[in-house]
Amino acid sequence: MRIEGSFVVAAPRERVFAEITNPALMAGCIPGCEAIEVIDPKTYRARILVEVGPIKARFNLVVEVKEEVPPERVVSITRGEEGTRASVISSNNELVLAPAEGGGTEVKYVAEVSVTGRLGKFGLGMMKKKAEALGAKFAENFRGKIEAAAAS
Amino acid sequence: MSVPGFHRPKSVEDAARLLAETDGARCLSGGATLVAMMNASLAEPKAIVSLAGIPELAGIAELANGGFRIGAMTRHAATAGDARLAGTLAVLRDAARQIANPVVRNMGTIGGSIGFADPAADYPPALVAANAEVEIANAAGRRRVAARDFFVDWYTTACGPGEFVTGVYLPPPRPGAGLYKKLARVSGDFAIASVALSAAKDANGVSIRIAVGGCGPRPIRADAADALLSAKFGDAAAAAAAGEALAAAADPVDDVRASAEYRRLVIPRLVAETVAHARAALEAR
Repeated sequence: MRIEGSFVVAAPRERVFAEITNPALMAGCIPGCEAIEVIDPKTYRARILVEVGPIKARFNLVVEVKEEVPPERVVSITRGEEGTRASVISSNNELVLAPAEGGGTEVKYVAEVSVTGRLGKFGLGMMKKKAEALGAKFAENFRGKIEAAAAS
Repeated sequence: MSVPGFHRPKSVEDAARLLAETDGARCLSGGATLVAMMNASLAEPKAIVSLAGIPELAGIAELANGGFRIGAMTRHAATAGDARLAGTLAVLRDAARQIANPVVRNMGTIGGSIGFADPAADYPPALVAANAEVEIANAAGRRRVAARDFFVDWYTTACGPGEFVTGVYLPPPRPGAGLYKKLARVSGDFAIASVALSAAKDANGVSIRIAVGGCGPRPIRADAADALLSAKFGDAAAAAAAGEALAAAADPVDDVRASAEYRRLVIPRLVAETVAHARAALEAR
């Protein structure tokens, strides 16, 4: 399934790029992110908890940056699984930063996500809605941190 | 997986205390949903609190005001077969009658079904159309929430941690009709889309409540649709406009049953069909 979205941050593109590639800051913005660890400058490990109604899924993810063009583009691959559990997730992600009309930076993201195993049984349509809601929450968190820092 | 602990309390208060005290505990009512979820490794409760030993949760009781209380442990078959749920309340019986198959209807309960809150299930829109309230218990006591506020999101209700559904309160039935129309791939499947409608008729005219199931995170309703249908119940243009208002309020997704686009297109047709059937039922009275 394809997850996409965009949001505008009131900060210059160079600064948004620096922050969006900063794992420590991202850990505090990604909804459900319990831990993030830098393995090398191109590889991160993250633990994310996703809850949908009665279902709780804790994913161990590895994010590998494939291409980085400051300050406009990051291409990455995410792979992960649910502990010993039988759900496997993988996604190809692209992040594009562009100057927004009227100032600031527009952040656009597209991810092609596949989920198999027990969560795959649950219905991708509803999971897509959940992913979009998490994307909106991330945008709110990220904007909050960057804009608060700029104002102080 | 580890074997969960099993508790069988004898009162609502004991059940609420167990739920609050026990980490990862979940209520078991009929088992039609929870056990299926456990078999699919989707739910893994650390402890199970069975509601089977609590007498007050079973059965349908008439209230002093002429309304009814349906206990959380009441099976779908009992709700489907209770002739006292007449007039506007027939919408709930009609929905109960169409849930799954006889095995599930003899096993599944109203509390379990609405506690799980699958938006494609049959009770959620029917309870909204019936203007029902849901009773929720916790360790501190009980509270009631209107059905339209009880369903919050996909598989998410107004129940917080340590809370569970103890029953459903229905207002006194009014003369009129109550209907539930379900579009499904085969008999007994979850709805692609469904429409629940209650029509009260008296000397002052007709009063309609309508809700759509299977087309969003929770039952879809629109004040405009209720108002249009109540003002001009016989009017095909009003029914079409109400259908469009509900389709606009829907937020469907693509799934194995149908695409989101198909659902948006089918809502006005299902609404028109339901309204026509309700009108015929009112005229036949």
